[in-house]
Amino acid sequence: MRIEVQIAELQPMLLKIARMQLREPAWAEDVVSETLIAALEGATAFEGRSQVRTWVVGILKNKILDHFRRSRRYVSVDAQADSAQVESLDELYDDTGHKANEPLDWGDPEAALSQSQFFEILQQCMDKLPRSQARIFMMREWLELETGEICDQLAITSANCFVMLHRARLRLRECVEINWFQTGSASG
Amino acid sequence: MAEPDDSIDCRRAHELLSRQMDAPLAPAEWALLTAHLLICDFCVRVQRQFQALRAAVRHFGA
Repeated sequence: MRIEVQIAELQPMLLKIARMQLREPAWAEDVVSETLIAALEGATAFEGRSQVRTWVVGILKNKILDHFRRSRRYVSVDAQADSAQVESLDELYDDTGHKANEPLDWGDPEAALSQSQFFEILQQCMDKLPRSQARIFMMREWLELETGEICDQLAITSANCFVMLHRARLRLRECVEINWFQTGSASG
Repeated sequence: MAEPDDSIDCRRAHELLSRQMDAPLAPAEWALLTAHLLICDFCVRVQRQFQALRAAVRHFGA
């Protein structure tokens, strides 16, 4: 398949990632357009050292970071609204503060990372998170921003940031465990 | 050495495990967490799982 076609076919996936990160759908469309243009311009120089998908997602990551840097001190209102929601984690623990269900041994995580199905489960679990939690988790873990930059960008306190990251991790942990490790999707 | 009264439960341990991935803990918090991890295999599992989620997301798009 021609590389230009492969790049064009990535558009829906790129848009999904971008929408998770950017509040305004128009901004997500902008960074995806910029990404596709940059990828098409660079296609002849792309030497196939990595998969086309990996390469293009890497470009998107930089375009999103550029967007954040241009729009510093932008106040994301919905992040504040979401974090004000009273969300209970009580069902995850018993009265003594122990986990209601004992966490499973996930074995070798590298084994899961080598299976593309695992990423579908991860994506589905991410989609179930409150939007602002998913965004902040991706800012921290995918864009690898420091919490200071995230607080600045979303205009939230660091305490709030830690709480949201903690909740996102607990929810993802639970969801991935139930849908991947407990259902026997994990092999080996 | 943390006295039994100072010990933390799993809920608090998970909170510290998560925060430790984002910022350094205060020495007292670090001591409490370390003491808890020595006696709680489940929290050691959760620690590995949080790290596995990080690795998975960084792999995202690979």
